[in-house]
Amino acid sequence: MVLMKRLFPVLLIFMVIVHFSSCEKDDICVEGDTPLLVIGFYDVTDTTFKSVSNLRIRALDLDSDSILGLEGSEEFGFTDRANSPDSITVPLRIAGTSTEFAFISGSADDDDGNETGNTDILTFNYVVNEQFISRACGFVANFNELDTVRQVSPEDWIKGITILDTTITNSNQIHVQIFH
Amino acid sequence: MSRYFIRLAFVLMTAAVFGQGEKTEKDTITRKYAYGLRVGADLSRIVLSSLNDNYTGLELVGDFRLSEKWWLAVELGNEERTQEETLEESLLYEYTASGSYIKLGGDYNTYTNWFGMRNQIHIGGRYAFSTFSQDLANFRFFDSNRFFSPNDFILGSDELQEFDGLNASWLEFVIGMKAEIFRNIYVGITARLGHLVSNKESDNFKNLWIPGFNKVTEGAKWGVGYNYTLSYFLPLFKKVKKQKPEEQQSNEE
Repeated sequence: MVLMKRLFPVLLIFMVIVHFSSCEKDDICVEGDTPLLVIGFYDVTDTTFKSVSNLRIRALDLDSDSILGLEGSEEFGFTDRANSPDSITVPLRIAGTSTEFAFISGSADDDDGNETGNTDILTFNYVVNEQFISRACGFVANFNELDTVRQVSPEDWIKGITILDTTITNSNQIHVQIFH
Repeated sequence: MSRYFIRLAFVLMTAAVFGQGEKTEKDTITRKYAYGLRVGADLSRIVLSSLNDNYTGLELVGDFRLSEKWWLAVELGNEERTQEETLEESLLYEYTASGSYIKLGGDYNTYTNWFGMRNQIHIGGRYAFSTFSQDLANFRFFDSNRFFSPNDFILGSDELQEFDGLNASWLEFVIGMKAEIFRNIYVGITARLGHLVSNKESDNFKNLWIPGFNKVTEGAKWGVGYNYTLSYFLPLFKKVKKQKPEEQQSNEE
């Protein structure tokens, strides 16, 4: 009986814990996210980091002809029409297998509002795969078999592109090098 | 009828009973203990099945008295549970876990009954094994950057994906009580703390809910459960506890 007197409060507390813990929900997603593509800018001659002057990036929609500007976006790591940092990030479309961007160097408007900068069109092709992260996050997208396509002309400010990582699972290091 | 109320009162006011239970058996009365098989079902799983569209479950329980203090205990169950996970009211994924389990172990009665009563407050352990499958009905890609899809997460797939051949085993600590409310009819309650020993998962989807074990917590191996049982005791034979030749009084406990 002495044992029971000691055991009973333990039993009660235990049952209370059981009831409350079965209601609680762990739904804060901190374990993962769909990665962004990280692009680094380098000097074509000495391959050190080199800023792009007055960089503007726009995402082009191949189907609807719409243009989305990645303008003034803190989340992508650069300021619209300012000199770029060493590396920036861009989002890739999950619903689809390619994303097309206009990279504009020396971006500015003339008096009529037309773009006077040097525009290079760059298309990234990839395969989207799902990865299960956790109960709270569910699935995120990974991008595999990354490839890039562009029309090359002598006026391009982009002189060369190297893909360092064809598999994009996080945004921690540079995936694509742009030489200019 | 009044004795039934007294027995019911035992269930409701167990705490109050403890203070008075200090009597020890100084006498030499011969006590006979009924041995047999007790079988029943978990009422909570039956009630939840009828109330909740996303849950179906049944658990059968049984135990067999081995000695004065020890019972061999078993639980057999089958459960199916569908769950949606959302983030800020946007659906992330929906899945159904279904399967069967068996729990085998023992219970030790710590309660000293009053004369003539056959109640139990017990602690015990189980080894449990569950075999199950998880069906993923649909999923969307979680993406904190909503540049291309400002309104909703992008649908990944709404084709059913089956992850089967999954299994898990765990050890369970059980604490509970059983009270005889009518002759040979018992109500019982147990609380359980499980610790996963093995957990076979698919590469592409984690085991989030295991039949018999309940929710699998991220980064931990602990799980909690309970049951409320109603069971029938089938007496098979009696064993005598103590016997002194001069006293042939026989009583049953």
